[in-house]
Amino acid sequence: MVKIPMKILLVDDEKDFVEMLSLRLGETGEKVTPAYNGKECIDILEKNPVDVVILDIKMPGMDGIEVLKEIKKRFPLVEVIMLTGHGTAETAVQGMKLGAFDYLLKPADFDDLRLKAETAWKRKEEHEDRIRKAEAKLLMRKSGGIA
Amino acid sequence: MENIRILLVDDEADFRSAIARRLSKRGISAEQAGSAEECLDFLKNSMPPDVIVSDVKMPGMNGLDLLRRIRQEYPNTEVILLTGHASPQDGVEGIKSGAFDYLTKPLEFEQLVSKITQAYEKIQRREEKKREAVLREKMEQQMIITERLASLGTLATGVAHEINNPLAIIKESAGWMQLILKKEELAQMPRKADFEKALGKIESGVERARRITHQLLGFVQKNDSVLSEVNLKQLLEESAELVKREAADKDIEIRHEFSPSVKNIWSDPYQLRQVFINLINNAIHATPKQGKITIKLEAAGKNVVIQVKDTGEGIPKENMTRIFEPFFSTKSPGKGTGLGLFVTRGIIDKLGGKIELESQVGQGTVFSVTLPQYHELEEESEESRQSRFKLFDTILKK
Ligand SMILES: Nc1ncnc2c1ncn2[C@@H]1O[C@H](COP(=O)(O)OP(=O)(O)OP(=O)(O)O)[C@@H](O)[C@H]1O
Ligand SMILES: [Mg+2]
Ligand SMILES: [Mg+2]
Repeated sequence: MVKIPMKILLVDDEKDFVEMLSLRLGETGEKVTPAYNGKECIDILEKNPVDVVILDIKMPGMDGIEVLKEIKKRFPLVEVIMLTGHGTAETAVQGMKLGAFDYLLKPADFDDLRLKAETAWKRKEEHEDRIRKAEAKLLMRKSGGIA
Repeated sequence: MENIRILLVDDEADFRSAIARRLSKRGISAEQAGSAEECLDFLKNSMPPDVIVSDVKMPGMNGLDLLRRIRQEYPNTEVILLTGHASPQDGVEGIKSGAFDYLTKPLEFEQLVSKITQAYEKIQRREEKKREAVLREKMEQQMIITERLASLGTLATGVAHEINNPLAIIKESAGWMQLILKKEELAQMPRKADFEKALGKIESGVERARRITHQLLGFVQKNDSVLSEVNLKQLLEESAELVKREAADKDIEIRHEFSPSVKNIWSDPYQLRQVFINLINNAIHATPKQGKITIKLEAAGKNVVIQVKDTGEGIPKENMTRIFEPFFSTKSPGKGTGLGLFVTRGIIDKLGGKIELESQVGQGTVFSVTLPQYHELEEESEESRQSRFKLFDTILKK
């Protein structure tokens, strides 16, 4: 069975971390795009489809919370998992109130990270599925079919 | 004045007993000595009195010499001298040598009573001052300890934050290599087992470091605290349940003595659980095989008190002030982080409680946690948060 790769966008200013985690996730069959700051993250989202964004909170320039707000405004269906090396999970919890799917403390457990990413992805797929069905219903009603 | 202790020193027995009698009518009891030597004997063999009333002219040692001896050896005793009216210079000499005051014979009884009263008041003022000084010193020491812990805490948590990033890099790198080693193309790789072994060690080393940083950061999460109604009885049972296996391994019995009158409190159950687990774990570690640990819960006015008592090795005096410091541990490396009590104290402070202990080497230790029935969290202002991190940043960048 061929696994459908998850399209992950990994955003963190820690270059070494992004590189190693991308390689590791890539090794398990996911498709990872790296980004090293908030602006890059938004640019990539504009051009490429992404399922799950893994987003560091503490970054210079646009911080994780600002990036999250921007994502939720412009790409509401994309799921976001917050990453914090900052222990103070309070910001991460704030992120969840703003629509993040979940958060992880650095250094995160790899299986935990994958599980959360998979669950987020599934939620996005289901959400998109419901939208498609709703659209189909709407179309049927308009064309005079049974509601 | 009833408790005042007086010694009358005079070679005239009639005079002495007359005064003693009159004093006792006022409710003041007085001992008597017939000479300076007798007085010194008395001082040597019983508790020194508050006030000594002594004649100056006596056969043998005179009153002035007696006064000088008393000043040297019994600084807490006040002396009132009785001088003959023909020799007022004795009185002046006496005051120079440290007498409280002098009275001339023939003695005016009311004057004597009022002098004794004044001397007694002076003693009481002096003792009050002493008590205050002791208290002040105790408080200052407490302040020093608290401040030291606070700054150590700021540094330690700051370091923990920054260490998490490099830890994550190490962890992902090792994890990636492990994945690669599992690939088919490397099935025949020479010395593969060696690599796997070393990667395993890296992983468990990172895990150990991660536990430290997360334990440290655990209680910094101020606004994460969720306050709710807490059933302490349930929470204590649950906490003991979590460490049950370790206790069973050492055949240690954990007893519960829960007073039924304890009501639910308003606090943070998750952080309290961390407190209880830390305390019970410490007790288990300190207790030899087949020992006993008692967990007590009782009400104390508006507070509740939780006690964890063990029959373990106890804590030596010189460690008493250090056990709350971060990283202070007497356990072997990898066994104890030395963060348990530091974090415990941080949590209890935050929840408006206090922690105390009593310990006897070879007998055991009791930790008592007092918690308020109801507690509101203080929100840490953004300002103080910023300055906390700034302080740490400057320390790191130096
Ligand atoms: N109940 C106890 N009896 C005797 N010594 C104790 C007890 N509790 C704590 N101590 C002493 O205080 C030290 C510090 O305790 P603390 O809980 O902070 O760290 P630790 O237990 O060494 O490490 P960790 O909590 O990470 O396991 C211990 O190493 C031990 O020497
Ligand atoms: Mg960062
Ligand atoms: Mg401990």
